[in-house]
Amino acid sequence: MVGHQFETIQKEEVTHTQIVRYAGASGDFNPIHTVVPFAEKVGLGGVIAHGMMIMGFIGQAIVDWFPSNCLENFTVRFNAMTKPGEKIVVNGQIVGETDDSWLCESIASNENGEIKVTAKFTIHKRR
Amino acid sequence: MTRTESRLEQIKNTKIEAFTYTIEKGKIKELAIALGDQKESYLNGDAVPPTFSTVIEFWGDPTSISKVLDLNLSKVLHGEQSYEYVGTLKVGDEIIVHTVVEKAFAKATMNFIVLKKEFLNQHGELVLIGRSTIIERH
Repeated sequence: MVGHQFETIQKEEVTHTQIVRYAGASGDFNPIHTVVPFAEKVGLGGVIAHGMMIMGFIGQAIVDWFPSNCLENFTVRFNAMTKPGEKIVVNGQIVGETDDSWLCESIASNENGEIKVTAKFTIHKRR
Repeated sequence: MTRTESRLEQIKNTKIEAFTYTIEKGKIKELAIALGDQKESYLNGDAVPPTFSTVIEFWGDPTSISKVLDLNLSKVLHGEQSYEYVGTLKVGDEIIVHTVVEKAFAKATMNFIVLKKEFLNQHGELVLIGRSTIIERH
């Protein structure tokens, strides 16, 4: 099973509306995510998505791949910013195994292959 | 010791005041829709997405961690996020969150601050451990 590739999850285009909706849902109202003039002023050239939203996309993929009660741990590193108009795809694979667990990796990237978030997670085999 | 080092030394082991948050069905649904992840179990409140604790942190915590730690928000990035799923979060659970600065160190021209959050339910059971790495550019 090590080396097994999971089914790719294709997300719809990220929109400014979705980012605002995520701000309201999560409670993270940092203006770099919601207010275009502010995000321009601080040199981002417009609003950026919350890194946690992209982690959420990977979380969605993990629960598509495995029952949610099997997830033991989930760690991400935020590599690049995501802007409205980008389309995120989530890929993943099994990279290792112990008696009890599958060790997996996942990458969220845009349509040009730019890596946004890299993830490692562990799935318990018998939970 | 430089100013940066002494400040980081001061920050280390800082405890942030604990807060509580009751998990509401509507907030689970709202997060699921915002993510475009419309699993029935989320819309019905039968399960909680793996990153739901971010809702608990932002909606539940009255303390501004950036103020307590004196972070310069224009130089701050969320570098890493990690969760250990020790138990299960459920609708109606009254979650208490304990936050501590687990690590604070400088590397190259950046400061790394690791916040550890322990999420306990109303039965006193530890259900989740979250770790956030905040990167502060000098």
